[in-house]
Amino acid sequence: MSAAIGEHPHSPATLAGAVAAGRMSGRLWLYANYHCNLACTYCLTESAPGVPRRLLGGDRMRALADEAATLGFTAIGVTGGEPFLLPDLPEVVADLAARLPVVVLSNATLFTPALVERLRPWADLPVTVQVSLDRPDPVDNDAMRGPHNFRKVVEGVPLLVEAGIRVRVATTLELDEIGPEPTADQERLCVLHRALGVADEDHVIRPIVRRGRAATQGLGVVAARDDLEPELTVTADGAFWSPFAPTVTGGRLDIDLLVSRSTTPLELPVSRMLGFLEGRSPGHDTTLGIR
Amino acid sequence: MSRIALLTAPEAPFGLADLYADGDPGPIVAALAHIPELAEVTLPFLGAVLGPSAVGLRTKEIVILRSSAMLGCRYCVDAHTVVARDASLSVDEVRALRGEGDVAAAFAEDRERALIAWVDAVAVGPGDPPAAVAAAMAERYADADLVELTLLVGTTVMLNRFATCLRLPTGEQTRSRLDAEGWS
Repeated sequence: MSAAIGEHPHSPATLAGAVAAGRMSGRLWLYANYHCNLACTYCLTESAPGVPRRLLGGDRMRALADEAATLGFTAIGVTGGEPFLLPDLPEVVADLAARLPVVVLSNATLFTPALVERLRPWADLPVTVQVSLDRPDPVDNDAMRGPHNFRKVVEGVPLLVEAGIRVRVATTLELDEIGPEPTADQERLCVLHRALGVADEDHVIRPIVRRGRAATQGLGVVAARDDLEPELTVTADGAFWSPFAPTVTGGRLDIDLLVSRSTTPLELPVSRMLGFLEGRSPGHDTTLGIR
Repeated sequence: MSRIALLTAPEAPFGLADLYADGDPGPIVAALAHIPELAEVTLPFLGAVLGPSAVGLRTKEIVILRSSAMLGCRYCVDAHTVVARDASLSVDEVRALRGEGDVAAAFAEDRERALIAWVDAVAVGPGDPPAAVAAAMAERYADADLVELTLLVGTTVMLNRFATCLRLPTGEQTRSRLDAEGWS
């Protein structure tokens, strides 16, 4: 197995080859946890304060980052749940970033001055914090994401920016709200993120995916496997096709997009992923713009 | 009621779609689907050991049904009662293998009686089978047959425990056959 991955780095049959050919993302996603201080209406993982935490653990994340770097991944993504609920996240992410560039997803509601102080070392590391902000108004935004979310985000993001940490804003909308030209609301949201210190190139808009709580609520767009960019994603429960795959519906983990239950060694799911990609042309996942 | 969720086609990992292409693949596949990388190696192994081979179908069904009865596996006894009848075992032979009749009376051939004694000893154990049972097998079967039949017992025992402990349900088609033929 290792020979297939290691000996021919430019072959399409290798991870590096698949990434170079645009057939697979170079980012390895890690689901740090599944619990969250919010319970957003469209959450893929039905995250909320009391759900099973499904913790990956700091040591496991570090080991995965080591393997990822060796195998040829080019970046790490950390998501959840709300990763910043984990007490050791600042140190874990710093260690990951010593191996590969890291993007950490967050609802940005926990960035107190004390926490941001602990994050200051990230300013000198390849770390980006991607925060969710969907609407330019507190009422509309908080209806989907929970009370006081808007206020906490607009207070928290400048603290990160001032600490020298790169911030991206991710806006999640219904597919029919995403057009070639921004709506008036989206223009106002752009004015807002610029005011918070986030540049236009660090703002992404993507559709709600109809999985997890979004499916239960009848929200979002149905996405089949080929609508999702192949981005190997490791959780406490296994390795999945994409970070949009290890969802929870009705309290039960969805495994329709499970690559393998085993994630040790990481070569195992990588090899399986490459096998699934054989004969699959690049660009399958671009139609819906799910990122 | 099964102890685990038996995965339907839309719930099962995408890599196993071929197993669901012809409809319900049965509870063993639907259970193994929870772990695709194991399903992909286990199912070909089971097919090779339990499927057509140098040992005839009748002989294999004697082994499988008897092992399943010795282990008290309701799921496997149900399924292989039907398969054994299709493999031309008589009603009396099937009843004897299920532990509901006399093996010596139902099976006229020494060779098959020796095999059944071997299955009983291997399936339940513990330890080395009795010398007389082993000697009777050695007289009547080549080494290759002994290897294959013993592997078949072991594989069936594995499935017996898997199906029993996960409480896999008898399939509807099998249940209908059993009811129609008076096995219930």
